[in-house]
Amino acid sequence: MRPRFFLAEAIRSIRANVAVSIAATVTVLIAVFILGAFIPSFLYVQSSVDSQKERVDIRAYVSDSAKVAQVNQLQDELIVLQQQGLVKEFTYINKDQALQELRERLKDPSITDYLSTNPIPANFRIKPTQAERADEIVQRLSPQAAIDEGLGVKYGEETTDKLLTVARFIQWAGLALITILLVASILLIGNTIRLSIFARRREVEVMKLVGATNWFIRWPFVIEGVICGLVGAVLSVALLWAVKVGVVDQWIEDTDSALTRDEATTIGFPVLGLMLIAAGALVGAIGSGITLRRFLKV
Amino acid sequence: MLRPGDGPMVIFEGVTKRYDPNVLGLDDVSLSIESGEFVFLVGPSGSGKSTFIRLLIKEFDPTEGAITVGGRNLGRLRRSKVPYLRRAIGCVFQDFKLLAGRTVYDNVAYALQVIGENPRNTRRKVPEILALVGLADKGDRYPNELSGGEQQRVSIARAFVNHPRLLIADEPTGNLDPETSIGIMQLLYRINRTGTTVIMATHDREMVDKMQMRVVGLENGRVVRDQRQGRYARVDY
Repeated sequence: MRPRFFLAEAIRSIRANVAVSIAATVTVLIAVFILGAFIPSFLYVQSSVDSQKERVDIRAYVSDSAKVAQVNQLQDELIVLQQQGLVKEFTYINKDQALQELRERLKDPSITDYLSTNPIPANFRIKPTQAERADEIVQRLSPQAAIDEGLGVKYGEETTDKLLTVARFIQWAGLALITILLVASILLIGNTIRLSIFARRREVEVMKLVGATNWFIRWPFVIEGVICGLVGAVLSVALLWAVKVGVVDQWIEDTDSALTRDEATTIGFPVLGLMLIAAGALVGAIGSGITLRRFLKV
Repeated sequence: MLRPGDGPMVIFEGVTKRYDPNVLGLDDVSLSIESGEFVFLVGPSGSGKSTFIRLLIKEFDPTEGAITVGGRNLGRLRRSKVPYLRRAIGCVFQDFKLLAGRTVYDNVAYALQVIGENPRNTRRKVPEILALVGLADKGDRYPNELSGGEQQRVSIARAFVNHPRLLIADEPTGNLDPETSIGIMQLLYRINRTGTTVIMATHDREMVDKMQMRVVGLENGRVVRDQRQGRYARVDY
């Protein structure tokens, strides 16, 4: 077809309907901004929950009186569990290493110097493949003879369970919120476009009477939708960028203690920005293309 | 779209249009209009003139009967082909139906852009036709800056710029004073003289009597008379 003619028609129409075009653009801007702020936040929370789940580890404490054969048996069982896919990895930590671990956690490690013997049992540090199935591993390992009766096999059950509940909640709530926001934005944008086309339904009627095909009428509207969607999304991404650099990055810098590294990640800004801009253009195009259908039946 | 040839331009065969079970637009109308004819459709409001015209451009289909335009059976014409039918028929309406946001020039040019005419031909043809309707110097005006008669001339220019073989006018002088109406009539007559078939719905009594053209009288959706050199009112000699 004739892209230049259609582009010129679209620009003419935007100029002729400045108020409505601005309304559509601002609607896209707001919707994209909300999504653009929410999506990375949701992904960040999701990712930090995941990295917490990653940290769940199970300790199988080996009795000081366990015989070598019994420890080997325990290790064999762990290998079986690993083959079954329950256990991701495990390490043996002997008494000295265990004590060393403790010393590292203490503010004043020198107090362990006062111990006459090493009271810390050797243990297996086990990483489950899925935090949700830690319980199963505990049950499989507990009957082993090498396990210390008093200490047994442990993981932070309560913390882990709480963590998992929170994780599930965040996941569902986040998905629900994103869905609601997405639907709301599409409805809002669709409504604005409908308003703008309704204002011009007489024009569409005349075009049809002169013998314009549906696509001849539709193309300028679609291009107009894309332009409004693009402009709205680009402005919105610029605004998001400003907020990210001016507020979020600053805030992260202020709260980050220099010692720990935040393992949680979120979507990169360029990817997010491009996605949002593409979405804005798409919603504009589809929104006006579909809405126009009703008015083309003359 | 319209097939060339000397056969009738329009054929109605037993055409009935029912809007509702109780509302009849046309009632069993059969008639034929030859190429190059000038035909007045007359009758009171609600007699079926507009229904007749809207059927011709396939705004809707008849409930019964068949319509042929330029050798095309409209019943067999697919919806997607309707735009091509309308390009072959020039339409003039009582309310002008101009695009308010476009200049006179752009309104006429739109009809050419729709058929994919190249910009150079458009730039040549639009001033030509504007000169023909006597609006050579009003190309850059907007419709609402013009008088009713001038707006109707724009709409005629748009209808005729493609040189269609059939031109339909639905009460083209309905909103105009008698003097202006004469100018519009003369324009339509000149267009008819170029060989274009013109069908004009009207209830402008004086005009019909003066023109001495074929008159088809409609009442309650039925053809009540069809006279070769008719007058507005039925005259029994």
